[in-house]
Amino acid sequence: MRAAWWRLFSLQGSWNYDRMIGVGMGFAAKPLLEELRHASPERHAEAVARSAEFFNSHPYLAGLALGAVTRAEYDQVPGEQILRLRNALCSPLGALGDQLFWAGLLPAVIGSALAGVALGAGWPAVLVAVVCFTAVRCYVSDWALRRGLATGMTVGRAIADSRLRRAIAVAGIGASLLVGLAIPLVATRLAVGLTTRHVALMLLVAAVGLLLGKVAGTRYSSPRFALVALAVVLLIRWITP
Amino acid sequence: MIGAAELWLLLAWGTIVAVDLVSMPQALLARPLVAATVAGAIAGDAGAGLAVGLLVELFALDVLPVGAARYPDYGPGTVGAVLVVAHHPAPVLWMGVAVGLALVVALSGAASMQWLRHRIARDVQAHAGQLAAGDGAAIRMLHLTSIGRDAVRGLALTVVALLLALLLRGMGPLDELTGTLLTVVAAGAGLAAVIRGAARSAGRGARFRWLAAGASAGVLLSVLL
Repeated sequence: MRAAWWRLFSLQGSWNYDRMIGVGMGFAAKPLLEELRHASPERHAEAVARSAEFFNSHPYLAGLALGAVTRAEYDQVPGEQILRLRNALCSPLGALGDQLFWAGLLPAVIGSALAGVALGAGWPAVLVAVVCFTAVRCYVSDWALRRGLATGMTVGRAIADSRLRRAIAVAGIGASLLVGLAIPLVATRLAVGLTTRHVALMLLVAAVGLLLGKVAGTRYSSPRFALVALAVVLLIRWITP
Repeated sequence: MIGAAELWLLLAWGTIVAVDLVSMPQALLARPLVAATVAGAIAGDAGAGLAVGLLVELFALDVLPVGAARYPDYGPGTVGAVLVVAHHPAPVLWMGVAVGLALVVALSGAASMQWLRHRIARDVQAHAGQLAAGDGAAIRMLHLTSIGRDAVRGLALTVVALLLALLLRGMGPLDELTGTLLTVVAAGAGLAAVIRGAARSAGRGARFRWLAAGASAGVLLSVLL
């Protein structure tokens, strides 16, 4: 199981538009399916082929699917049922993982690091963020793989009974609170040494960016707005040296 | 000063952070704040690393890096941005230029990521027969080759970022007003990005109230400290 757990860290290494993380799942499943090779070579080949079929979910929670499907293969569950289970797990694991990690824990730890750096804590604030995030990620990956292996075809019930929903709520609150805390602190840090006029210009640019983002919706891109604004400054300074 | 050894280390670090974004190990190394902090330490100017990381991170917080979404690859560009300002006699004047470099490389990184994903898909289709037969060696080969391709992508992006940074470092001095305006505009655009991302994630429910509470505490701390 340890080898499969390690392989979960490279799950998205072969991300593609054909099978998404399917090949990565196949790579991670290989050590788990080794015993099946000796017990039932034919079933093993089928299981390996199924393990690399299309799959997409959040990579940190994919261990639930990996474990469940592996257990189902050892339990000799019919192949069609296993593929249905894999497909059924894609959306919920993707949605839960995105909410827990990308919209929760990640902005929370980055927000705390930004606040720490803005307050003068320096690199230790960054190190603490990386260590906290990685520790939670490792724990969740381990839990997910073990839970999947233990529950097999009933993994859906295990997910429903888990503390994931509660963790998502807590991580979401933490993300909002800590990013909210960081924004004024970072803005204050960025304003150090600037004149009142420059601070006013900085806030004006921020307001224009927010307004454009509101008007343009999903077509708005923060980096593109910044690059256009920088180009405008260069143009103005070129015209009026 | 930044010598050849530091440049090689920055090249290696830029490649690692590019691979960390999607392939492995996804351990926050690709975040601009982390990438820049380590790059600053490598360049021997920790302050420059933290300053660049703080600013570029604001843009990265506007991104939700979900599966098939197309998002910028900030890591290699951030490493290049640190090289622009490290040991510079007037780092604040060059901060806006450095952020501009980071953003250009980040957008190029997004395009390169799309190219890579299509390329891997073609590889997978070419080996569909072996995959259908349950050939474990083919799965392993495809997976490891794909990670290798991502490393080459990251290396190429970092080379571009570092070359652009060296080019900028070799340029003549930037006049004070232009440099200050570029930095101010980059900071304003960064603030717009982080506020937009935070508001979008918070929505209009309870999370928005927590965001407001955090922002209020931040304002209070800014006034007090």
